[in-house]
Amino acid sequence: MGRSTEDRGPVTRARVWRLVTPWMFLAVPLALLITFTYVPVANMISDSFTDWDGVSPDKNFVGSKNYVELFTRPELFQVFFVSLYYLVASVVQITLALYFATVLSFNLKFRNLFKGILFFPYLINGVAVGFVFLYFFQPGGTLDSVLSLFGAHGHHFWLGSGRMANTSLSGVSVWRFMGLNFVLFLGAIQSIPGELYEASELDGANRWQQFRHIIAPGIRPVLSLSVILAISGSLSVFEIPYIMTGGAAGTQTFVIQTVKLAFQFNKMGLASASAVALLVIILLVTWLQRLLVPDERTDLV
Amino acid sequence: MTSTLVPPPGAKTRDLSEQDRSAHTRRTVARTLTYVSLVAASVVMLLPLFAVFLTSLKTSRELAQDGGALSLPHNWLNYHNYVTAFRDGKMLSAFWNTSFILLFSITGTVLIGSMAAYAIDRYHFRMRRPVVALFLIGTLVPSVTTQVATFRIINDFGLFDSRWAPILLYTGTDIVSIYIFLQFIRGIPVSLDEAARIDGANSFTIYWRIILPLLKPAIATVVIIKGITVYNDFYIPFLYMPSENLGTISTSLFRFKGPYGAHWEDISAGAILVIVPTLVIFLFLQRFIYNGFTQGATK
Amino acid sequence: MKRKVLAGSLLATMALLATACGGGGGSSSSGESASSPTDPAKVTGDVKVLTQRTDLVQDGTMKKYAAEFNKIYPKVHVTFEGITDYEGEVKIRMNTSNYGDVLMIPAVIKQDDYPKFFASLGSAADLSKQYTFTDKATVDGKVYGIANFTNANGFVYNKKVWEQAGITTWPTTPDEFISDLKAIKAKTSATPYYTNYKDGWPLTAWSSVVGAVSCDPKANDELATEPDPWKAGSDLNVGDTLLYNIVHDKLSEEDPTTTNWENSKGLLATGKISSMWLGSWAIVQMQDAAKKAGQDPSEIGYMPFPSQVDGKFCSPIAPDYQEAVSIHSKHKAAARAWIDWFTDKSGYVQTNQAVPSLKGAPLPSSLKPFSDAGVKLVEVSQAKNAEVNNIDNQSEVGLTKPDYRQHLIDVARGAAGGDLDGVFTSLSKKWAEAQKTAGL
Repeated sequence: MGRSTEDRGPVTRARVWRLVTPWMFLAVPLALLITFTYVPVANMISDSFTDWDGVSPDKNFVGSKNYVELFTRPELFQVFFVSLYYLVASVVQITLALYFATVLSFNLKFRNLFKGILFFPYLINGVAVGFVFLYFFQPGGTLDSVLSLFGAHGHHFWLGSGRMANTSLSGVSVWRFMGLNFVLFLGAIQSIPGELYEASELDGANRWQQFRHIIAPGIRPVLSLSVILAISGSLSVFEIPYIMTGGAAGTQTFVIQTVKLAFQFNKMGLASASAVALLVIILLVTWLQRLLVPDERTDLV
Repeated sequence: MTSTLVPPPGAKTRDLSEQDRSAHTRRTVARTLTYVSLVAASVVMLLPLFAVFLTSLKTSRELAQDGGALSLPHNWLNYHNYVTAFRDGKMLSAFWNTSFILLFSITGTVLIGSMAAYAIDRYHFRMRRPVVALFLIGTLVPSVTTQVATFRIINDFGLFDSRWAPILLYTGTDIVSIYIFLQFIRGIPVSLDEAARIDGANSFTIYWRIILPLLKPAIATVVIIKGITVYNDFYIPFLYMPSENLGTISTSLFRFKGPYGAHWEDISAGAILVIVPTLVIFLFLQRFIYNGFTQGATK
Repeated sequence: MKRKVLAGSLLATMALLATACGGGGGSSSSGESASSPTDPAKVTGDVKVLTQRTDLVQDGTMKKYAAEFNKIYPKVHVTFEGITDYEGEVKIRMNTSNYGDVLMIPAVIKQDDYPKFFASLGSAADLSKQYTFTDKATVDGKVYGIANFTNANGFVYNKKVWEQAGITTWPTTPDEFISDLKAIKAKTSATPYYTNYKDGWPLTAWSSVVGAVSCDPKANDELATEPDPWKAGSDLNVGDTLLYNIVHDKLSEEDPTTTNWENSKGLLATGKISSMWLGSWAIVQMQDAAKKAGQDPSEIGYMPFPSQVDGKFCSPIAPDYQEAVSIHSKHKAAARAWIDWFTDKSGYVQTNQAVPSLKGAPLPSSLKPFSDAGVKLVEVSQAKNAEVNNIDNQSEVGLTKPDYRQHLIDVARGAAGGDLDGVFTSLSKKWAEAQKTAGL
């Protein structure tokens, strides 16, 4: 781009101008990004080396004490087992989304209706979703009523204890977010040129072969993006369990634990350290994923 | 891909009609199974919402008689709970506040996202990669964990308990919109910029006159995605706008629940009230939403 | 080169901004005071009051109080902010100067830090003659907070249900209480006990058994030095064991994870629940629920913890939240006027049937059965409350947090591993360790 002439004078000014221009456009976005993301993160990192309680005007520097405590208390990392539920749920979610996207990419009756129904839950307000599912899991609520239609009477404790509750909650997250994956996959599939299908039909390829050789390569970028988001999402689950159970009955996630350390036990330093640890883990996961699945398409640059 | 019109070898030797028939049956079975799976999924998606809708039409007495969540209301036109939820939930001012925040934060996001994308795509400067990385890493920070520091910054700007706090926070970091704009800008030929530059347009004119109008489909996408995010967000308005007259949709619904915690029929009505606008907008803008996703997230 | 300079200056600006944003929000200038105004007509200004009673803010009750207040102080404009998650939200706001004019002191603030956040309300020597429990908010001889009222502690119960089960006298031991609940389960359709596990905060009332078993006014202060607060026979041990046994013997609701506080009031009033352990502030709310459900409010009873010392029940009395004036308030006199009026003259305390913090004021009628039965009201000293809180946070035990009892209930109902002794052992271990490290 631009002329690469090397003469002096007005051109130099133009060149300087061209160097400055992108920064003019980036000034406001970067200022906002730094103010509202990086300054808080820097604060969080500096707090993680103090014994601050979150309110008191005095902070004392304690070196790496919080990090030592974090890594010498295995129970603080046990909550990551809860993330496994959400991770499994993400696999289910992506698989389902992929299946429905494939099915609905072919011409079917009521295609748009199904598409809308599958996608709509993603658009619903989170607080409303919380209420809908609190009602859903009530003893004698929606789920119990449905089951009694099929002859399974009585009350089940959907949020009663660890395994059941985490399964219920990760089920809610599948219900809520599947639509997004589905629409992303569908978009990717539909952007594959139609000629490819026609050609394969002529070659006598069946649906499965079409999926393997045409659809799968076409959606790889979106798929790997979804996988990153799924993993980092599972590690930082917060909203659904926080609104629905408050982390009781073994549904505590790492972020809820961090919030409790910070706001209930006033250990801002330790909480900051664990937030930093979480951030590092998420960055590692992203980096690993890049390493394993090199894909210039997911890269923005 | 090469395609041949010649059937594969071996096909000729088999009875064609039999092959057709078995293929036909198989296809019918597959098709039926597909529909079954779709209907089952639709039921799973709609049932929780439908139960809440039914409950919102019941009187508290009907609920107490415990006909189960799926029993039908006596009176399908019992709008009484909606009146309660709308009035006591202060939904009118909530809709107004939410609209206000939506308007400004969406405008801000579109401008900022498209500017960043323009700079990143059209200019090759030395710090480009780090800048992109900054934006990318920013999305990975779980915002709950940095809340105290963010709060202090908002307060230092004197924006606490005003509608500008969420507007600024929503506008501030939105990698998704930058990503969508980037994808789009790549598709706009550089020759257009070059031609305008030869005509003496400066880069701002190019951005404003050429790039932005051509980004319309991407803008539609961003407006919709951002709109959904802002309309549904709970934590930011909850924390930054505690005043009663500054309730948004989410916070009003949440606060409405407190005193009505025992009245599922009123809470259900409140939830439905909040869901309905989303539904209406979705029905009208379906095409844009899908198209946006289709063209925005993939290339 | 220019580009680099620009980028550098941008980053420098950001760094400056970062340092500007650092540091705590409390001002270091202490010594501000908010003394009671002498001439009501001269007091002016806007006063913002933070409260956790969102229900009273929403239904206009607080506005009515403000109107009453204006009859005496015509030039003060009072507004209210009902806060749902009081502790969490106010803690964040106290990092700034923006936390209202009048607020309840959040548990998170260290007592020694009070002068940094609040204006002094007067000397301890004067105020302690007037109000109970000023020691909970006294730093260097000055008082920074006054409790609106104090609470007795006991079981709210539905008299009719207990009569139906043939129980006529208050149980005097935990075992007797359990067998009474079993009788209720067998003879009535009521759920004998309701934990309110889901909402969580009602469970924190169980920490108010401190002083109920030992009958010792110093019970709370002793937690600061006692290495094993859960040893057999201690307040916490007896209280937690009772809760554990109630849940373990299936005398509580079937599914604790879907309980609902608002709903529980109606359930108790209509006899679907027979009892709940709560502070005496809850009595009036239960009575209101009874009126709403068309029941007789006098059916709501209140009984002390089932344990006696020398043939007498004991009920610990402890202060509710304490009201303070923000050090950043621009209208400290008006703010103080509101606190004085609200505590002494508003009738709020009487309406809520609470135990007044104003010395010499009469006991509410809801506690008449207590005085009739000769229940000893034990004023639990708060002198070492700061230390106890500190150890509590350091140990992550959470005496006043829901998690501790939610876990106990999980163990009791088999939703979490372990047993009661194991729970007590690990609590004591954490407590003793934190006592060593909690640098005071």
